[in-house]
Amino acid sequence: MEAAAQEKIISVINEKFEGEIIEATMLTDFFTIIVKKEQIVDIISHLYHHPDTKFQFLTTLCGIHFPEQNQIVVMYQLHNMVTNQRLRLKIFLSADNAVTKTLTTVFAAANWMERETYDFYGVIFEGHPNLKRILNVDEMIIFPMRKEYPLEDQTREDKNDLMFGR
Amino acid sequence: MEATADKIIVGEKPEGIEGTGFFATRLDKVVGLARKNSIWPLPFATSCCGIEFMATMGAHYDLARFGSERLSFSPRQADLLMVMGTIAKKMGPVLRQVYEQMAEPRWVLSVGACASSGGIFDTYSVLQGIDRIIPVDVYVPGCPPRPEQIIDGVMKIQYLVETESLRRRDSAEYKAMLNKYGIE
Amino acid sequence: MESSGLALYIPVGLMFIVALGFVVVTMLATHLLGPKRKTIVKLDAFECGIEGKGNARLPFNIKYFLVAILFVLFDVEVIFMYPWAVNFKELGMVGFVEMALFMGFLLVGFFYLLKKGALKWEE
Repeated sequence: MEAAAQEKIISVINEKFEGEIIEATMLTDFFTIIVKKEQIVDIISHLYHHPDTKFQFLTTLCGIHFPEQNQIVVMYQLHNMVTNQRLRLKIFLSADNAVTKTLTTVFAAANWMERETYDFYGVIFEGHPNLKRILNVDEMIIFPMRKEYPLEDQTREDKNDLMFGR
Repeated sequence: MEATADKIIVGEKPEGIEGTGFFATRLDKVVGLARKNSIWPLPFATSCCGIEFMATMGAHYDLARFGSERLSFSPRQADLLMVMGTIAKKMGPVLRQVYEQMAEPRWVLSVGACASSGGIFDTYSVLQGIDRIIPVDVYVPGCPPRPEQIIDGVMKIQYLVETESLRRRDSAEYKAMLNKYGIE
Repeated sequence: MESSGLALYIPVGLMFIVALGFVVVTMLATHLLGPKRKTIVKLDAFECGIEGKGNARLPFNIKYFLVAILFVLFDVEVIFMYPWAVNFKELGMVGFVEMALFMGFLLVGFFYLLKKGALKWEE
């Protein structure tokens, strides 16, 4: 994305939400903006309706776990289909209390994506109509994609360490 | 190339008394013969092994010539449950219910590495082998197994079907095995 | 050779008894002699492996029933036309007029149900 388009997006956000942007960079050819977590839904809604940006397609919504900083990031990826611009918004949440507002009021597609983020990272989305596990077994008590949980199935007792590179 | 007609085995008949126009043998041999040549499979195909199964059912490898012409997706009308593909832990109860709703006599063929032991997917979400929840008769290893291997697995199931005692499903040993899995 | 009508039908009756008897005997024999293992889970309704929800007996639209009943009526009318077609020559003009009257009555009934919209499929 050229610098002019980046400036445009930043100025659109700053129109109403002065001081919410923490950082705006090109992260390997993808424009990424880190914003404060409180007004993220309003910011996305503003970008949705504003005639200069019109990001009216939610490509994806997912979580990232940084165990060293004890933070969980919720990443929103938006797309303007008319001008073919893509934007990535990130909010940083504390891993002990990962709570944020739901995006289902702006994008209906966020429904299942937020359920998946809850299922794998444990992020609670306030106001979500049906926040329960979507891909894992309902009785699971851990959030598997967090880096403190092992990938492998723990119930096997027949593993040969030599074969598994240990 | 010389003629190889003498090396072809058309079908092996069980031992019995033969005469002009009749053949008498034991009932369980006849029943075994009938059962083994008309196994109706339930293809529980979840992943790549299911695609290999599709190739097996195609004209080139043709599982239908073994009597498995009619696939059934309802367990009530199937003899053989072929589990082909990765079974996630969330799918486990579904597979178990489908197995329990099959009518006796029933056999299970576990096709592929994922169904036999979890395969390369040693993770929190994949069931490490369907024999953790249902009893399995024959395992076909491979990732995915070639159609010839799947046919070999079906032929081994045919041997089991042919030699099964008619009252095995009422025996105490069978009940004990089912109890091990928590099935009645 | 007996000329009484009833005695001529004995072979038909015998065939009927044999057919019915075969069905009854095989069903009884398999039900009583065949091995069975009934368990609670096996007797549950099959719903692709998941829990069955709700009752399958729900009220359904009456248009299906109407179509079936009207089919039966007009099918019986067609069945009446078969013996008439076979004995057409012998019945002559009288038979023709009788049949025309019969079909006329049913046609009036058909006209009535068309007007009433009994065969209208969309709501």
